Amino acid sequence: MQTSRSLELLKRMDWLLFGAMVLMAAGSVAFIYSASYRGEGQPMPDFYRTQMVWFGVGLVLYVAMALIDYRLICQGAVIWYVLAAGLLLFVLIAGTRVHGSKSWFGWRGYGVQPAEFAKLAVIVAISYYLFHRTPEQRRGWATVLGGLTLVVVPALLILVQPDLGSAMVLIPICFGLMFVAGVKVKHLVLVVALGACLLPVVWLKLKPYQKDRLTVFLHPNRDPLGAGWNLNQSLIAVGSGGFSGKGYLQGTQNLLGYLPRTVAPNDFLFSVIGEEKGFVGSACVVGLYAVILFSGLRIAANARDRLGTLLATGVVAMLFFHVFINIGMTIGLMPITGLPLPLLSYGGSFVLATMTALGLLQNIWIHRRVY
Amino acid sequence: MIITAPYRDRNPRLAIIVGIVSSGLLLLLLALWHVQVMRGGHYDIRGDAQSLRRIRIPSARGEIVDRNGVVLANNRPSYDIAIYLDQLKRESKRQRIYSVAQASVGALSVKLGLPYTLSEASVTNHYYKRRPIPMPVWRDLKPETVAAFAERASTQPGADLIVMPVRQYPQGALAAHLLGFVAKAQQTGGDDEDVERFYYYQPDSVGKQGVELACDEYLRGAPGGKTIRVSPSGNLVEDLGEKKAERGCRVTLTIDASYQRIAEEALARAPLEGKELRGAVVVLDVRTGEVLASVSAPAFDPNIFNPGTPPPVITGIFNNPASPMLNRSIGAKYAPGSTFKTITLLAGLEAGMIAPSDTWECKGSLQIGNRVFKCHGTHGVVDAMKAIRESCDVWFYQEGMKMGADVIARMAGQFGFGQSTGIDVGRDVTGFVPSPAWKRMERGERWWPADTAQLSIGQSDLLVTPLQLACAAAQFATGGVRMRPCVVKKIHTISGEIVHDAVPEVAGRLNVRAQNLEFVRRAMLGAVNESDGTAHRAAVPGLSVAGKTGTAEYDVRIEGQTRRFNRAWFMGFAPYDKPQIAVAVMLEDARSGGGVAAPVAGEIFARMFQKKRSATGDSGVYAD
Repeated sequence: MQTSRSLELLKRMDWLLFGAMVLMAAGSVAFIYSASYRGEGQPMPDFYRTQMVWFGVGLVLYVAMALIDYRLICQGAVIWYVLAAGLLLFVLIAGTRVHGSKSWFGWRGYGVQPAEFAKLAVIVAISYYLFHRTPEQRRGWATVLGGLTLVVVPALLILVQPDLGSAMVLIPICFGLMFVAGVKVKHLVLVVALGACLLPVVWLKLKPYQKDRLTVFLHPNRDPLGAGWNLNQSLIAVGSGGFSGKGYLQGTQNLLGYLPRTVAPNDFLFSVIGEEKGFVGSACVVGLYAVILFSGLRIAANARDRLGTLLATGVVAMLFFHVFINIGMTIGLMPITGLPLPLLSYGGSFVLATMTALGLLQNIWIHRRVY
Repeated sequence: MIITAPYRDRNPRLAIIVGIVSSGLLLLLLALWHVQVMRGGHYDIRGDAQSLRRIRIPSARGEIVDRNGVVLANNRPSYDIAIYLDQLKRESKRQRIYSVAQASVGALSVKLGLPYTLSEASVTNHYYKRRPIPMPVWRDLKPETVAAFAERASTQPGADLIVMPVRQYPQGALAAHLLGFVAKAQQTGGDDEDVERFYYYQPDSVGKQGVELACDEYLRGAPGGKTIRVSPSGNLVEDLGEKKAERGCRVTLTIDASYQRIAEEALARAPLEGKELRGAVVVLDVRTGEVLASVSAPAFDPNIFNPGTPPPVITGIFNNPASPMLNRSIGAKYAPGSTFKTITLLAGLEAGMIAPSDTWECKGSLQIGNRVFKCHGTHGVVDAMKAIRESCDVWFYQEGMKMGADVIARMAGQFGFGQSTGIDVGRDVTGFVPSPAWKRMERGERWWPADTAQLSIGQSDLLVTPLQLACAAAQFATGGVRMRPCVVKKIHTISGEIVHDAVPEVAGRLNVRAQNLEFVRRAMLGAVNESDGTAHRAAVPGLSVAGKTGTAEYDVRIEGQTRRFNRAWFMGFAPYDKPQIAVAVMLEDARSGGGVAAPVAGEIFARMFQKKRSATGDSGVYAD
């Protein structure tokens, strides 16, 4: 592909979406800095610098992803899917155990979580699968079962790591795609009902800490010094931010370590923002996500073909689920799961996966049909 | 931008996705509005509540000074070496706090050459309950140890020299019983309100006896407070502000330290002939009731009641059979013996039942009923004047039985016996005046004439305190007015504001004819100044002292055997014409009042008035 042609294509990208992403990245670095700040003269962890590196690498992936025609990428859907499943299997054998989960490939302190890329592979695989079914087939049971099968394999592999949150993300992706692809609502409802019947079985299979998180969600004050600690401290942090916040680097909950330092830069970064920037800051974050999500949906609606629509919907479903669960959990609306906040939370794999996904959105937008 | 219209028509479900995303984001916004704006204040308070701690800072106790400003009690710095457990723990995170503390204290111990004891319980307790507060390891160090710490160990992390105020009594045991002592208040002993208000409660010293106890409220001052912010593990993060503790009030006593010293020295020089010194002296200003000196022997050094004293020393004092902690001038009661004859005489004269000219022959004893009562001498023909002067028991047996017990008991009441003197410091015992009615009610026995005879010479069941007797002496001195004795003259706040100013208060008046009172006074003058007076050894050249001695026999059963003690007394006043001071001297175990108590009083009168003369250059009028 020629450079001039690439530039030509890049000029066509959705600059609003790009702008929102850059703002998010800047905010991410700034608040990861704040989340690891411990006061003057105290040693400063390198998280914010590392995150900058990830955004740099992510930008390369983003551009590459935007330029290679998505239809070409989807030609290899089977390869991506098998590769992702293979990595998930391999990480169970050769991965590094971090906080009790075997979900990382570690190298010199840097880690890669295959589950994050598996999400993308699943989006591509299901979209490609549904794209190749005829409208009649999509109204039959076979398509539903096919889509579910594609999800169940990686979901189970992620679940045994165990990483309940990431496994759960696959469900809205799958249902969102099937819904938009035209699967009968009746079928989807039936599947959900069956899944609900399986919930007690899932409950029995949950690890004790996962059960704790769920019971804490239902009764936040039952064990405020134990399982409820993170939730309570996060609530205090976000709540005490008030309307306009305590100011940058002034969040005492975070500064004093009430909001545990191990989770503040990643899963609970939103609590830091909420405390230091108040409702104004929170609303800005939600607003920027709105820009990204609605841009994604606009791209889905304007895609050249159904494949583009499905891919974009899958990306939107994934990001929305992350945003809703993560922000919801910081204020007790959702149970605590280790789902990071797209583009904000510290963590290489998810930054790269998110930027790849956004690159894919730009790709669909660039290759849309313009009349 | 143009939307691909035909394609979009085939996907109405995309609009539903838009709806789901929109409502999800809106729900988040509403929830955030609720948490941050509606309930923000609530979470703000919860955040502060979990990170803010209040520490109570004890105040320095106020000074106690004598009437001339001589310091009797103040505070000195105690240099303690303390360890900061939170800092130590930060240095070595992985170890148990006790081993960390032990290592640190052990290193200090080697550097300073001090032995140490450190219990695991106290360390862990301090670590979990009082973490940001330094934990003292060695208290009240010598200057050379402080210097050694500064030189060799001050750079050791987590250890520091802290200065705490400690109560000190610069005059040592002087007026110890009157001043009292202090002890660290138990945490539960403080005001409950304070304990609740402060997360870390550092107790004050609390007065335990004497002026320290009576004026505790004034001396204590107002505690300060400090607000700190702590991390989740309870470590100090920052100081947010401090309210300085306010020093307690300055209490000025009526005591004159130099008179107190004179009285203590005089009592210590009592010619006891090898007997153990146990006694009391009270010196009053007769015009105001102010206590100028108050001695109780044996005494104790209130300085030992500080945290540095080993506990056995303190229990030793409390268990000492001579009871050094007992304030004998107000806290113990004794038979007044012959000093009481002055009151018996006044009672009889006032009742009109006896006359000064009544005479009886003393043959050394008197048989009453089927018992023989002895006199301490054979006085021959005795009249009232001689009976007081030479303290003839037989004369008083006879006269007492003539007037009856009730007449005597009533007069004793007029002198304040059997009642509290109302002294402002300490709790004085009331003593006891027996009467026929009491004996019938309490013991179910008849009151025999022999009981009256005994009462008339100050024995029977009659009991008084040295302070009561001093007040009685003052009452003779003033011509009948008894002032309420007081020890606290003034109380100033630290800014100089007067919060208490003692006003002389009349506690009682004698309802007697002046000529009768004057007769008894003259008899007392004779007892001291005539060469055959029993109180002659209290006489001071150039000073007209009036007084009366007493020697009361008192049986005490010790280990199954009855031992007889002589309570030796002197009570009197001077100068006779323009009385200024009244003195009572009591020794629990001495040969006689005239032989032991009178010389003590004599020395007190002589040295006090000599001091006054040299101080004022005049004829010995007491200078206020």
